[in-house]
Amino acid sequence: MLQLRSISLVQFRNYVEQDFSFSGRVTAICGANGAGKTNFLDAIYYLSFTKSYFSRPDSQSVHHGLQGMRIEGNYLLNGEEQKLTCILRETNRKEFALNGEDYKKFSEHIGKFPCVMIAPDDVELVTGSSEERRRFIDTILSQSQPGYLSWLIDYNKILQQRNSLLKAAAEHHLDESLLDTFDEQLSEKGQLLFAARKEFLDTFIPLVNESYKNIAEKDDDIFIRYDSQLTQDQMRELLLTNRQRDLYLQRTGCGIHKDELELLMAGLLFKNLASQGQRKSLLFALKLAEFETLRQKKGLAPILLLDDVFEKLDAQRMHNLLSKVCVKEKAQVFITDTHAERLRQQLDKIGVEYQLIEL
Amino acid sequence: MQLPSSLLENAVAEFTRLPGIGKKTALRLVLHLLKQDVGDVQHFGETIAKLRRDIKFCQRCHNISDGDICSTCANSMRNQRMICVVENIRDVIAIESTQQYNGTYHVLGGIISPLDGVGPEQLAIGSLVQRIEKEETEELLFALSPNIQGDTTIYYIQKKTAHLSCRITTIARGIAFGGELEYADEMTLARSIANRLPVQQYVK
Ligand SMILES: Nc1ncnc2c1ncn2[C@@H]1O[C@H](COP(=O)(O)OP(=O)(O)OP(=O)(O)O)[C@@H](O)[C@H]1O
Ligand SMILES: [Mg+2]
Ligand SMILES: [Zn+2]
Repeated sequence: MLQLRSISLVQFRNYVEQDFSFSGRVTAICGANGAGKTNFLDAIYYLSFTKSYFSRPDSQSVHHGLQGMRIEGNYLLNGEEQKLTCILRETNRKEFALNGEDYKKFSEHIGKFPCVMIAPDDVELVTGSSEERRRFIDTILSQSQPGYLSWLIDYNKILQQRNSLLKAAAEHHLDESLLDTFDEQLSEKGQLLFAARKEFLDTFIPLVNESYKNIAEKDDDIFIRYDSQLTQDQMRELLLTNRQRDLYLQRTGCGIHKDELELLMAGLLFKNLASQGQRKSLLFALKLAEFETLRQKKGLAPILLLDDVFEKLDAQRMHNLLSKVCVKEKAQVFITDTHAERLRQQLDKIGVEYQLIEL
Repeated sequence: MQLPSSLLENAVAEFTRLPGIGKKTALRLVLHLLKQDVGDVQHFGETIAKLRRDIKFCQRCHNISDGDICSTCANSMRNQRMICVVENIRDVIAIESTQQYNGTYHVLGGIISPLDGVGPEQLAIGSLVQRIEKEETEELLFALSPNIQGDTTIYYIQKKTAHLSCRITTIARGIAFGGELEYADEMTLARSIANRLPVQQYVK
């Protein structure tokens, strides 16, 4: 079991110095616009991922006019007390420690304290470009599959090197042996990543479908499919076949960086057809499937951070979602809203004990 | 910082050109030199000038040398059929200080990274391949940084020497955890030289 028991924020965003402790599984946080609800959840996210959920530079998280920041969390993980500390020094150097011991590589921490965030702008995940969905899949796999994150980092480095070589080749001559070398390195990582994504999505997609039905109480004719060039061909073959085109375009046109998680509705692109509520339902279904996957892989329920979810769903769908995560899953949940009253009503209705923090 | 003498200012400016030396440190060093005897400082300056003027790079392995051929290459007690491939001269010094290695070196002068504008032509790779051909080298030991560029460099050289019968090994990777060779402590480095591993043929 994973539980955050207290957090202390020093010079983080709008918080100068503040401590919070959490008594139970469900914590409701309310406050006006700009009160710091999203920042609060992001601080918890920071401790799980060593960085902000919103891809912003660390320096922007330091309270304006001050230097350095610190986030410290005390957890209970499978019965043992654990302390996480994230410090951004005045020099902008970031340190991250588990029980006082600094990590040499932050990537080693990812996945140890699993956590899932659902924030208002996340609807991009279903309406945005394929990159959003790749990043979503990569985030889950980085937490649940050992080695995945380092393969991905390596893949991207090799890809950059290969693209640089393609550019340089347009001006000078091409060193074929070097391009062969990059192709081999890239293919090795590419195949590993493809296999991991494929295996993962084979079980993940049914989970999304199921979650969607739980929330919406119907399936709305949604169809989800993993689309990768590597399904038909080995990466090495793809790179060889496309070499002339790559040289011409000076970039690598095939590989797992082109993968897509295709979302269809009634056979058409989901984003062109779906209503607002359906988009939100699919978003929640994806996030809940993420939650479920991590729970299975880790053997413990991730911490769930729900930001402004009331703005997104009708009463019935909201009720379905809350009772799923708060009652059935027994996860630790942090949930925010601008209205204390609305929060109370919803939580009372599902009959769960909770603590209310007013910012 | 306002300095009372242009001579002082010039000297400080020269020192700040050194890596890791800021203006404050430079001033401290210069003022220290001013306290010394004129002869001592003269000697200091001449030593530096002579170093740059007279130093040579070994024509065989590109290591630092007093003559055309360095002392390692000229030493018949060392295994001349074995070449340890390193990125730079600091790596040679790090490995020599372990006293665990008894072959020769080849200093590449860098590592392949098109992203940084470094291709194989910028490095001493051509001369390495010629050397292996001519000297009938028996073993090529790679001691490069354990990262992607290090791997690229190894695989590339492996491709270029595929027609030769020389054995290819690498020091146990993962030393100094993502750091560079020069930062590995002597014990770790010594152990990884003792436990060198064959490099797998990449993709057949
Ligand atoms: N680096 C910082 N230093 C000081 N204050 C900051 C910093 N970054 C953000 N803030 C402040 O934090 C507040 C925003 O906090 P947050 O986004 O958490 O609000 P919220 O409670 O989620 O609001 P809403 O209900 O509108 O979503 C803003 O008032 C902003 O000025
Ligand atoms: Mg908010
Ligand atoms: Zn030499």
